Amino acid sequence: MKNNIFAKPGMSPKEIVNAVRSLKGVCFTSVGMRDAGQSDFKNRHRIYDLKTLAPYYNNMGLFSAESHGGARWHVGIMNRREDPFEECRILRENMPDVLLQTLIRETNLWGYRPYPKNVIEHAVSRVDIDIWRCFSFLNDVRNMRSVAETVMKRGRLFEPTISFTVADWATNEYYLGVVGDIIDLCGGIDEIVLCIKDMAGVGDVNRIGNLIDAVKQKYPELVINYHRHITDGLAIPAFLAAAKAGAKIFDVEEDSLVRFYGHSPMLGVHAIFEESGIPVHFGRKEAEAAVQKVREWIGHYEWAESPFKGLDHTVTLHKMPGGAFPSSFEQAQKAEFLHLMPAILKMMSLYNRVVKYFDVTPGSQITWVTCSGIINRYAKERGDVGVRHITELMSEFVEEKAQDFEAMQKGGQEELLMLFRNAPGDFKNLLMGNYGKLPVGWPAEWVYKSAFGDEWQDKIKERKELSPLDSITADDLEKIRRELSDMLGRAATEEEFILYLMHPKDALEFIEFREKFGEAPLVLPTGVWREGLKKPGDRVDFELWGKPYSIELVSIGAEHEGVIHVVMRVNNKTRVYKVETPRAKKAETKMAKGPNEIGAPINGNIWRIGNPERGTLRVGDIVHKGEEIANLEAMKMENAIMAPFDGQITEVCVKLNDTVQEGQMIFVLDKIEVKEQEPIGRID
Amino acid sequence: MNKRNINKVLIANRGVPAVRIMHTCRDRKIPTTAVYSTPDRLAHHVFMADTAVHIGEAPPIESYLNMDKMIDAALMSKADAIHPGWGFLAENEKFAQRVIDAGLIWIGPSPKVIRLMGDKIAAKELAQKANVPTIPGISDVTDISQIKKWMKSEKIIFPIMIKASAGGGGKGMVKVESEDRMEQAFSQARSEAKKAFGDETVLVEKYIERGRHIEVQIVGDEYGNVIHLFERECTLQRRNQKIIEEAPSPTLDEDLRQEICFTAVRLMREIGYTTAGTVEFIFDSSTRKFYFLEVNTRLQVEHGITELITGLDIVGIMLDVVTGKKLPFKQSDIRPNRWALEVRLNAEDPKTFSPSFGTITRLEIPHGPGVRIASGVYEGADIPPYYDSLFMLLMTAGADREDAVMTMDRALSRNLRVEGVKTLAPLLLSIIRHPSFISGEFSTRFIEEHMDELISMFKEKTSEDEALKVARYVAEISALGHQKWM
Repeated sequence: MKNNIFAKPGMSPKEIVNAVRSLKGVCFTSVGMRDAGQSDFKNRHRIYDLKTLAPYYNNMGLFSAESHGGARWHVGIMNRREDPFEECRILRENMPDVLLQTLIRETNLWGYRPYPKNVIEHAVSRVDIDIWRCFSFLNDVRNMRSVAETVMKRGRLFEPTISFTVADWATNEYYLGVVGDIIDLCGGIDEIVLCIKDMAGVGDVNRIGNLIDAVKQKYPELVINYHRHITDGLAIPAFLAAAKAGAKIFDVEEDSLVRFYGHSPMLGVHAIFEESGIPVHFGRKEAEAAVQKVREWIGHYEWAESPFKGLDHTVTLHKMPGGAFPSSFEQAQKAEFLHLMPAILKMMSLYNRVVKYFDVTPGSQITWVTCSGIINRYAKERGDVGVRHITELMSEFVEEKAQDFEAMQKGGQEELLMLFRNAPGDFKNLLMGNYGKLPVGWPAEWVYKSAFGDEWQDKIKERKELSPLDSITADDLEKIRRELSDMLGRAATEEEFILYLMHPKDALEFIEFREKFGEAPLVLPTGVWREGLKKPGDRVDFELWGKPYSIELVSIGAEHEGVIHVVMRVNNKTRVYKVETPRAKKAETKMAKGPNEIGAPINGNIWRIGNPERGTLRVGDIVHKGEEIANLEAMKMENAIMAPFDGQITEVCVKLNDTVQEGQMIFVLDKIEVKEQEPIGRID
Repeated sequence: MNKRNINKVLIANRGVPAVRIMHTCRDRKIPTTAVYSTPDRLAHHVFMADTAVHIGEAPPIESYLNMDKMIDAALMSKADAIHPGWGFLAENEKFAQRVIDAGLIWIGPSPKVIRLMGDKIAAKELAQKANVPTIPGISDVTDISQIKKWMKSEKIIFPIMIKASAGGGGKGMVKVESEDRMEQAFSQARSEAKKAFGDETVLVEKYIERGRHIEVQIVGDEYGNVIHLFERECTLQRRNQKIIEEAPSPTLDEDLRQEICFTAVRLMREIGYTTAGTVEFIFDSSTRKFYFLEVNTRLQVEHGITELITGLDIVGIMLDVVTGKKLPFKQSDIRPNRWALEVRLNAEDPKTFSPSFGTITRLEIPHGPGVRIASGVYEGADIPPYYDSLFMLLMTAGADREDAVMTMDRALSRNLRVEGVKTLAPLLLSIIRHPSFISGEFSTRFIEEHMDELISMFKEKTSEDEALKVARYVAEISALGHQKWM
């Protein structure tokens, strides 16, 4: 078999870029190991199964394999209990000739909030990845600087990415401006690949061809990668248009992995390109084998697929990207507001014309939580009539009145001014510039009035024009490392430290899990990983560190006082395992009841007690009305908990990183009496 | 003297010492009686014995320290001799006397010798009389002004050590670094002394900084033969309790070895010592001088390493001597030809030394060439909170020190597995891998000085352990169903 490899680890960015330029036609990035799983299978694909594709990838002639980043890192730590560092090592061993690619959210890295510059540099310089695809949900290229510099200094390939959407303001001129900023940042076009991230897959066929053509006209030598989800049903023709316009690299996945929210099938795309006279550098035989291999294990993940299946061209209106689309339906079903989904999607399509940014993490979550929150509030307060009313009001404002606030009637104005009052903390962070500049300027003043009430002018004054890179103060890394080591009771490894920097609570749980269960996540077949052994005599054979092991179930005892005894034969030796049931572990949770007891607004995780200005709050501290006293993270969103009155903290009922449920008591405050204040028009 | 016979031995002890003694009895086909407290009903030593007698509730004072019950148990089970092991009643002259008065054979030195040596002050005076060097100090201290006066007149500088006169085993010993700590240390030592030995008399000595602890094993018969079985080095201690011992001492040269051993023999001959005992010295490596500390009038925990280097069975010698037999060897017959190492496996947190008790859910006992194990437990056994935390001794022997250390490394890192309770194993392994231990350069303060370094060396994984973690996962998922997020 001839060697299909044209780019591999160890080559300099310039060599890689030149190798792509000199290809006769186009080539592929396989997202089968990352985005495919994230879009349609909730990131549940285990490295145990994915690594079976690696031998085929190794000679498939891919540009790269996206195997890392996005939410895969976080879900790996949190659920699959796999560590992104060990995933890289496993893939390096099994496909040494393939460039490994990550997806990184500029200053947010692999997390959901901006990290300080020193954290970015520390993490980026220690993760063994060849290609760094980096996007900003605001297209704020300034936010990419630290990642770009660190990656390029390491001699790895930086792949700056422009977030793409379709909107009246999202013109070629706008995008060329972003590309210009990127080229300035990266010192030219010879050591980068530019990615166009059509995250929601909303560009119609002509739009895509037209944009890529415009970019290529201006920068003929720039290597362009087109990334597009398939939900609208037009991905393959759009690929063809992009290829004809000069895009060089296309994101594809195994045909057998393709569902509704991910990417195009590699064999299908290959076929249509070839038929259209566009040569593809691609090991078709290996790809066919990989497609076949997927079938051996994909059945284990049916449970992870969304029950909401199917393509939907209306994605071009609400623009909810990739896997966020089905998962929003699932959330709605779970929280019993599925019937509100049409209204929520309508609200999103209007909202994204008012507050302009791109529907990519974390933007897509901000849009979803904000809009679903508004609709739910109206549903709760005023029923279906209220829901209809608010969508009509927004339609009127956006579509008929072209967002002319003064043109609205008084009642409508008043309502708009309350629209964002209960919006999540991250929506307010966005307005405050904490993520960076919005792509085409800040929202109108009424949005600030709506979000912040009387304080709106102060808030606009406080709004940050700097990139978070320049406004967030450095973390004391050695202090954090010591804090982690203290919690572990031993020195933390460098990798554990980086996991902890990204997601403190989940990293700790991950480390604890692995200390208890060792390499179970890596060595157990997916069926056993998920369900264990069911009947007496069921057996799992596996290899650990090159030696054979066998576990056979003998019996599972009945539950008694919160304990079940499980008898198993481990390499022929009978052992009894005492398993505590959740009933045995249940602890009492105190709920906030009195007016002095501050409860959690929603289910989530307390990741900060206090606020960045004052640091950690303790018993005895005086807090002021409206001051943030804790912050809760839920569904990737931050939610500030504010002091409802001036008071002194008499009890802190939670610890940092505790998971709390809605209404659970977080603080007890003693009221400090001050002179009576004018009641103001707040509904919270 | 009359030749007597032993037909059955009651071992007035539990755990490791009881099991150790029963092994020799089994060798000699002498039946044994075990005694047990309520929580020890299913303990290892109970099943090693031919007969077992329940002697009371958990608190030692009601069981393993209860002389009446011990003697009743011996009489009832038709035992005609009592071996006290170490700890509990081993150095109690009253008990020894009562055993004899009950017409039983006491397997140990005479009550008179125990009394003499049990009194630290008398022992020291005796040592001085026998021309054995002793540490400067004062005895019978009832008031801290006495200590201050003594320090002034003898020009003693801190640190000093306050010790229970009736002590041993590190209990009732408090080191004092400065004058303002003296009051508190003094009352602590007295109260510990009272609790451990029922006698609050204390003595005070100069503390030898960076001293090394070296002891000489002695055996003597009823015919005035006193022979040494060479020395052991027991410098590695935590909280004044030994955790690693070795024989011979890596510190001594041949001249010093001869000198210290014959000094010990001289003292024990002077006393008229019989059976097995140990003379303990503190060795000041900077001046290369040794001072007498005390005599342990019993079988010592670490006697096994002496057995390994000499090939003798010290418990067997004790049984022979108390039945009126002569020692079957001369001093010149004792020619050690091995290096032996012992570590004490305590059920303790290796970082904090706080005791850890519970059920041993997994136990893999080291074996293979060069290893000797003395275990007081089995897989599934409970370690109750009432007694000493020592539950196993691991000994290794080799042609030289390097060999013995290498074998111990294997035993600890690749063979031994204990789950269910925490053990000192990670600390012990870190110590024997530490460059200072390997070069033989250490003092009694080694552990406190290097604790952080030692802890950081703790981690060691084997595929066997990792496989069991995987199995635990399978057990949990099989019992509880898939995880919430799945």
